[in-house]
Amino acid sequence: MKKVSVILTLLLAISMISALCLAESKPDPFGKYDEPVTVHFVRSTDDTLDANYFSQHPDKTMTDNLWCDLYRDKLNVIVDYDWIVKGGDEYDQKLNIALGVGDIPEFVNVNTLQLKQLAEADLIMPLEEIYDSYASDFTKKIMLETGTSPFDAATINGHLYGLPNVDSTLMIADLLWVRTDWLEKLNLPIPTTMDEVIATAEAFAKADFDGNGVDDTIGVAIAKDLWGQLFSLRGFFNGFDSYPGIWVEDENGNLVYGSTLPGTKDALKTLHEMYEKGLIDPEFGVKDGGKVAEATTAGKCGMFFGAQWNSIYPLQSCVNLDKNAQWRAVSIVSATDKPVKAQTDVGTLSWTVVRKDVAHPEAVVKMFNVFIDKNWGPENENGIYYAPLDSESIWKLSPVVPTNPNKNNDAFMALEQYRKDGDESKVTGEAYSILQKLKAYESGSEDGFALWGWERIYGADGAYGVLIDYQNKGMLQDNLFVGAPTETMTSRMSTLEDLQDEVFTKIILGEADVDAFDKFVSDFNALGGKEITEEVNEWYASVK
Amino acid sequence: MQRTHLRPARLKAFRKELPFHLMLLPAVILVFIYMYVPLGGLIIAFQKFIPAKGLFGEQKWVGLDNFIYLYRLPGAISALRNTVIIAFYKIILHLIIPITVSILLSEIKSDPFRRTAQTLIYLPHFLSWIIMGGILIDILSPTDGIVNRFLGLFGVGPYFFLGSNDTFRFTIIFTDVWKEFGFNTIVYLAAITNIDPNQYEAATIDGANRFQRMIYVTLPNMRMIIVLMMVLSLGNVLNAGFDQVFNLYSKQVYETGDILDTFIYRIGLIDAQFGVATAMGMFKSVVSTLFISISYYCAYRFADYRIF
Repeated sequence: MKKVSVILTLLLAISMISALCLAESKPDPFGKYDEPVTVHFVRSTDDTLDANYFSQHPDKTMTDNLWCDLYRDKLNVIVDYDWIVKGGDEYDQKLNIALGVGDIPEFVNVNTLQLKQLAEADLIMPLEEIYDSYASDFTKKIMLETGTSPFDAATINGHLYGLPNVDSTLMIADLLWVRTDWLEKLNLPIPTTMDEVIATAEAFAKADFDGNGVDDTIGVAIAKDLWGQLFSLRGFFNGFDSYPGIWVEDENGNLVYGSTLPGTKDALKTLHEMYEKGLIDPEFGVKDGGKVAEATTAGKCGMFFGAQWNSIYPLQSCVNLDKNAQWRAVSIVSATDKPVKAQTDVGTLSWTVVRKDVAHPEAVVKMFNVFIDKNWGPENENGIYYAPLDSESIWKLSPVVPTNPNKNNDAFMALEQYRKDGDESKVTGEAYSILQKLKAYESGSEDGFALWGWERIYGADGAYGVLIDYQNKGMLQDNLFVGAPTETMTSRMSTLEDLQDEVFTKIILGEADVDAFDKFVSDFNALGGKEITEEVNEWYASVK
Repeated sequence: MQRTHLRPARLKAFRKELPFHLMLLPAVILVFIYMYVPLGGLIIAFQKFIPAKGLFGEQKWVGLDNFIYLYRLPGAISALRNTVIIAFYKIILHLIIPITVSILLSEIKSDPFRRTAQTLIYLPHFLSWIIMGGILIDILSPTDGIVNRFLGLFGVGPYFFLGSNDTFRFTIIFTDVWKEFGFNTIVYLAAITNIDPNQYEAATIDGANRFQRMIYVTLPNMRMIIVLMMVLSLGNVLNAGFDQVFNLYSKQVYETGDILDTFIYRIGLIDAQFGVATAMGMFKSVVSTLFISISYYCAYRFADYRIF
């Protein structure tokens, strides 16, 4: 009797221990918590969400929507926000102040500078072990699609402090958007050199397309934020073998800051000449992207540099107003005898960090799993959660947004294949959602016309085709510095960027002579640029 | 002997004044908490401040590095210059114009007209610079602004008032004076209403005409309020108007339009260089204190006016 009970006890103990061991050794990437776990984030919101989701679902809120429902039902994770602000700048400011008083939320999306400060202040926890054990295999695969750089940038002293919200690097490359209906009216070809771009700009600026008798069209639209993804100047500078804001190799194989390259001066000089001829808006220095978008929508401009999604915003509004308007994204052009290269950067813009005292840090990894799986996994519901037919950007409702970097490439390639063989069965996932949009547009219906922007990206002569071309023809200039921000970079870089934008704006508008560029280069070096360059090269030597 | 004699008297006085001291106490506490305690934050100016480590964290001390960096930063000196120039003109014009207008208004006999004029000129004061900024950017636009269209009728311009270093300061000063002079006028009008009418009657009997009455009766009676307003405004000599400049400036006019406050805002809140921003703020405070002391001394020396 005694023996039996001993054996029974032993068995029980062993089974319990093994059960515990099992639970310990095999964390479930999609495991649902027994008790609800509330995760506190902070976030920014934007117009696209208001216009495309909240206006159609007035009863929904940031904490009560399909993504929050999904996290609750699948993981028993309740998403909550300590604060929400509108706009990325506001978010950074508010976060900087929150960091200043050491009052950080449980989970927060930060940039690499903020991540470095938080790690040094010992306020956030290393995540490499949690990530290793809780990230699903598919998550791990997706997160490495753009190489290890998103992880390198968040690794300090061998510890991973932030989960990268990965995104495509290719998508950052600039395209040249041109109004092709204007080209046709003036009998002009699509510009393929910088001289042709300038000539086209001149023709556009002189022409009076709306027939109002007033000289109010401009050639190339730019905005006061010179390096955005809309009305950008990057594509223009790239044509002069200049790569503002990223680090590239010089002839000796050392990294240099792309804004200080000699080509930059030529680009500025050309822009100033264009300003004098009235080809760019003399008021661009006081107009933000939204204002310039209004002018573009109203048919006041015929060309600009920007990203592939620009056809959805703002160009869709332009064609909505003027059904005859037509835009097309083409390759950026060279101003030199060298072939042009479009600059890219690390596509990851934010990293999710976890406060040190959080009880369930793995919850965020599980959320990464769910987000990636729902959108691009084998049994995805992309058409519901990412790109539904009737609205845009609803994926932004999730506090974490790790994006399959190749999703757009894959979708475009799948659609290209479909255009060749017409086999719809092979078009799945996001490509399928997009195909429905393209079909709706081709149907010529009124609802379908609202999807013109999608056709301009994924159609036969769509923007993505140009990006794939960049990739296949080696027309990309990557940012060669992809490490964590260096010591001096953390403190001085943003002020140097400010200085750069000020000097560049003044040169373009003739408020300063083009030789002010040389003074900028020497100021840049004197005010920390030299140290930053040294630190960047130290890093470069260590990874070579 | 004397001391023992004095003490009860003082104690008595203190007892009598105690309620007043108690009434003052909340204000003193507030000033202490919000004006004096934050002064401790000035140590940031001598640190390579990493916000996440907190005010009391282990920050790296860098001595005067932040000040040296500021000195080498191209925008810092011009921000100081712009601040002084813009504030100087604003202070002068904010005295002359409201005083002139208030005297002229007080001479108007038609009551309805005076009241209407008064209301109309002080209305802009109640619009924030956010709103005014939007309006001004539109009406001053070189391409389709109403001001340039009007000037165009005479073959003048177009001027890019807010985008050119030649005109930006003028525009800032002009719009600020336009927005605020009506409100300041009220202060002086109140002072004029308080002047004893007998003085005017006496002057009239002595044969003074209208103009002479303004010069010899109205102005001298306004002396105190003018000196007071001047002393108060001199304390603002390094406050050239953050709200206004922030809503109207752009990168191309930093050279003539960037003021200390906008500069500090950008360095501190946008670029997160808290050490440098604090250094600049500290510098600004020191210079301001200097200006206030000088103006206070001048007011005492030349107008026999003292606040304390």
